[in-house]
Amino acid sequence: MTAATPAVQRPPRPKRSLAVPAGLLGAILITLWAASEQFGIGFDIAAILEDLSKGSLILTEVLQPNFAFFPRTIEPMIETIQMAIIAATIGCAIALPAGFLASRVTAPGRISLAVTRSILNVIRALPDLLYAMVFVTALSIGPLAGILALIFFNIGVGAKLLSETVDAVDRGPIEAADAAGSTHVQMVRTGVFPQVLPNYVAFSLYVFELNIRASTVIGIVGAGGIGNTLNAQMGFFNFNNVGLIILELFILVFVIELISIQLRRRLT
Amino acid sequence: MIRFEKASVTYPGGVHALRDITLQIPDGQMMVIVGLSGAGKSTLIRTINGLVQPTSGDVTIDGRSIRHARGRELREIRGRIGMIFQTFNLVKRTTVLNNVLMGRLHATPSWRSVIGRYRADDVEIAMQALERVGIVDKAYVRASNLSGGQQQRVGIARALAQQPKILLADEPVASLDPPTSHVVMRDLQRINRELGITTIVNLHFLDLAKVYGERIIGLRGGELVYDGTAAHADENVFRDIYGRSLTADDVLEPVPAV
Repeated sequence: MTAATPAVQRPPRPKRSLAVPAGLLGAILITLWAASEQFGIGFDIAAILEDLSKGSLILTEVLQPNFAFFPRTIEPMIETIQMAIIAATIGCAIALPAGFLASRVTAPGRISLAVTRSILNVIRALPDLLYAMVFVTALSIGPLAGILALIFFNIGVGAKLLSETVDAVDRGPIEAADAAGSTHVQMVRTGVFPQVLPNYVAFSLYVFELNIRASTVIGIVGAGGIGNTLNAQMGFFNFNNVGLIILELFILVFVIELISIQLRRRLT
Repeated sequence: MIRFEKASVTYPGGVHALRDITLQIPDGQMMVIVGLSGAGKSTLIRTINGLVQPTSGDVTIDGRSIRHARGRELREIRGRIGMIFQTFNLVKRTTVLNNVLMGRLHATPSWRSVIGRYRADDVEIAMQALERVGIVDKAYVRASNLSGGQQQRVGIARALAQQPKILLADEPVASLDPPTSHVVMRDLQRINRELGITTIVNLHFLDLAKVYGERIIGLRGGELVYDGTAAHADENVFRDIYGRSLTADDVLEPVPAV
């Protein structure tokens, strides 16, 4: 069968843009530069493999957790979970209004948008470890400093994730609320909040999970929880005990992930 | 009475969406606006509740200017004007009842809305609105689980819950199939007749406009080019409004030539 003569001529294929290969090449060159001995940090895979063999001694001990140490990890582990829950609850509660203020869609005005975004950028720019150091210095060693550090960390993460979700909501209900004579707060509450609620719950659980992990790092500077124990055991070179703590953290994060998957499935 | 006095709308890009519209819509009328897409139908409807502000001229409702209304006054005017949308504009993740209760926002203090506790009276009004469009059995169903026609009826119930004096409908049947389109148009007609609510509907299907419009106005390029009864609006009139001869796409159900 012969094909019918097309009525309209097909357009010629547009020339391929060189932007993608050029960008890829650029990324490779920059990475090589950063890794080079002459200009960068001297990233050498052979040397790493050699050093790793020295580290394997530690690794074998970590992989053989000392379960006899378990009773002594219970209390700090519970403290870590408590810190993570308190900080996630307070941090995400603050992140909720902050997230709406930081989205172009729900900000009441340009000035408040710019101010909220600047504040959140500063909060997010500082790492959790730095917050912990500041609060440990200001308040003394202990879980309170850790909780405050985690709260700031949580506000930054939670508000960022929420505001980006709000940016992408369906604008239809917003128009409907406006047309019905709602106030700005009513519009956000009835037209936008139900759209982002499942995401917000998922973020909050993610933030809680981040807190469990972050607690190991902030414990190093004395901000309470399992991190303190972990740091002490590393200091004593008790890597079997370190191995147990890591195993417990792994299980804990895994369980939280399972719970969060279940909750998200029910909400969406 | 809605009164347009030499109302014009020019969008920031320089597009003249409405030019010098002078128009009076008496209380209780069912008016249909026809015109090609881009003729200014949506803009005209949105100047009535101030979603779009006229750049010159004025629009008044019962003598109150919408143009200079701000804040509380604007919300109060909007509270008495219900609106129905082409894409329904429902919050799909929440219940039908919650969507209809949005129609009570203008009469609800903000703190009540924030904690989600509506007055029992307002819930009753919302339920009655759902009864009027015949889907009260779906009150606690998620809006996303409804068909297109049912979703548009939720949209109508939301507008009715405002207990409005005016009902605006922007292409209410453009996303629906022909039988459902008639159901929704009949709902609007019934509301107009039984409750005496001034109803203004944008349509691009001319046969629907003739059947349901008491009065038809035609827009072309932002200008008012026809204003008359549905009986008067024959093929020549529509040809003039559209500025071209009519095609099968201009009617919902092409009538076979006998």
